[in-house]
Amino acid sequence: MYRYDEFDAEFVNSRVAQFRGQVERRLDGRLSEAEFRPLRLMNGLYLQLHAYMLRVAVPYGTLRSDQLRMLAHLGEKYDKGYGHVTTRQNMQFNWPKLQDVPDMLADLASVEMHAIQTSGNCIRNVTCDPYAGAAADEIEDPRPLAELLRQWSMLHPEFSFLPRKFKIAVTGAPTHDRAMVRAHDIGIEVVRNDEGEIGYHIIVGGGLGRTPVIGQTLRAFCPKDELLPYLEATMRVYNRFGRRDNKYKARIKILVRETGIEEFTRLVNEEFAALDPSDIAVGKAERDRIAAYFAPPKYESDIKAFDLSAQPEAFRKWVDTNVVPHIQPGYAIVNISLKDPDRAPGDITSEQMRAVADLADKHSFGEIRTTHQQNMVLAHVRQDELRAVWDGLVAAELEDANINLIGDIICCPGMDFCALATARSIPVSQAIAERFKDHARQQAIGEMQIKISGCINACGHHHVGHIGILGLEKAGVEFYQVTLGGDATQTAAIGDKMGAGFSQEELIDGIERIVDFYMDEREEGERFLDTYRRLGTPAFKEALYDNA
Amino acid sequence: MSTLKHKGKGPQGMTANELRSGLNVWMTKDFEWSRDYADAFLTEDEALIEKMDSVAKAAEAANDVVGAYFIDTVDGVPARYRERFRTHGPSYDTADLIAES
Repeated sequence: MYRYDEFDAEFVNSRVAQFRGQVERRLDGRLSEAEFRPLRLMNGLYLQLHAYMLRVAVPYGTLRSDQLRMLAHLGEKYDKGYGHVTTRQNMQFNWPKLQDVPDMLADLASVEMHAIQTSGNCIRNVTCDPYAGAAADEIEDPRPLAELLRQWSMLHPEFSFLPRKFKIAVTGAPTHDRAMVRAHDIGIEVVRNDEGEIGYHIIVGGGLGRTPVIGQTLRAFCPKDELLPYLEATMRVYNRFGRRDNKYKARIKILVRETGIEEFTRLVNEEFAALDPSDIAVGKAERDRIAAYFAPPKYESDIKAFDLSAQPEAFRKWVDTNVVPHIQPGYAIVNISLKDPDRAPGDITSEQMRAVADLADKHSFGEIRTTHQQNMVLAHVRQDELRAVWDGLVAAELEDANINLIGDIICCPGMDFCALATARSIPVSQAIAERFKDHARQQAIGEMQIKISGCINACGHHHVGHIGILGLEKAGVEFYQVTLGGDATQTAAIGDKMGAGFSQEELIDGIERIVDFYMDEREEGERFLDTYRRLGTPAFKEALYDNA
Repeated sequence: MSTLKHKGKGPQGMTANELRSGLNVWMTKDFEWSRDYADAFLTEDEALIEKMDSVAKAAEAANDVVGAYFIDTVDGVPARYRERFRTHGPSYDTADLIAES
């Protein structure tokens, strides 16, 4: 993992001291709320529906075990004993008190963490494939790229007051996009050109929210040397031409759509040509310096034979769903589901965080990943230690075997916590999980991504769910609209809107009907998404509304 | 300073968030603040509404509360769904499971 130097530490500590002073001045009245609000937002502190909420940055979803223990400590000392993994791989605390936040930030700084740029119209936390550096299908580990982007975008003087927030995602595995790069303001895929050189495919103008758009190619192959100048040029075009008069039309996706990708690309290329690349370009030596921090861990070769058939059935089921192949023979990637049907998706108690940190120390080189699907990952586990990991997860009540199944639901906090929400989303996810709790049924249904948002801002990514659910409210009653056929991967698609909304009870029945319809109609090897694409909207809509 | 404007319909309540804790509060009949909506003072009396407005502005200026505003109510409960929801807190909170265990 990347190790920050003394300049990073000094900067983060000075920021904590600044914010401590700002909180003191707010509490004694020297700062008004109007003056204080932008300052607290710059430090990740929101005032939500019922209380303050602190959003802590987890750069590209990578944590050391001591950092996860610190998050556990924050949850226990300053909050209510838990944290919430977000769809940007960050961690939120729902109940901090204003006067405690400077101490929380000081504690975070002691383990090289902070909450900077988790809010505001700046470049937010860069997200990344959670299997980075461990996936057999990646061209190159994307974490050095993500770290380079973090360094470039942190407090960038030109890009701290953009027309609107800006989200970047990166993946090193363009054939299996697990970072949702086409639904970001900028998505970057590591690619190889015809000459075998590794560079970047830059995608621009994607996004969800009230105007969902799939990103388009800005540059099919950007050489590594040119990446930062090219991104700088792109950001300058957005900063100059992006709308500032209407926050709902201020994201880069609107600019790209209204300008057209050809003209937008021309503007970027024109700006790029006018830049002096030496001002910002990062050469091979610096890239190699960063990459060295992400060198593969010291894998061991004395892995014992692993006889799965001799193991308990529950363990075998868990291996089947939650464990995926690793690039290194004898190792495996372990997904830890945070989708206990009785809890909110992404919630993890402080006790559980410590258990995961301990497992990471014993079995995965002390490193943990958070995922945009609101789970965690131990990226490098010896196959002959999988049983020990599972035993530890069982003891921590984290053994749910539902990764990528219907119980693995992405869900925003909704009206239970969020000030912007129009309806609740957590109870909907719990009701779906309860309806489909039978593991054999989940397995039989196969890959399924249900994504739920409690408002049109789409933090639950409902537009790209195989089944997307949007919570709304009219005349004091919550109702839920359904989209089908969304896709967050390399074959990204915005889901098709069905018709009239449902009450929560009707919704669960409707989902069961379309799942049953899919099970009846699917052909050999088809996922829900495949069957939907083959049969089309009308057939599924008929099932959803029980019009047969 | 507050930007409070009384434009509501029906009996009016006054709500805000405590500056320090961030928790929701409602103005009581004694023009104090309570975290319990059951204590909320609801009135259509214009003079009292004026007083609620000035007390809320003073409370913001004194850094006791933040973001004060009037809410419409019907039959003793907030008219808007969002405001009704604020009166009872999250319908689900992992903290409750932790407290039970």
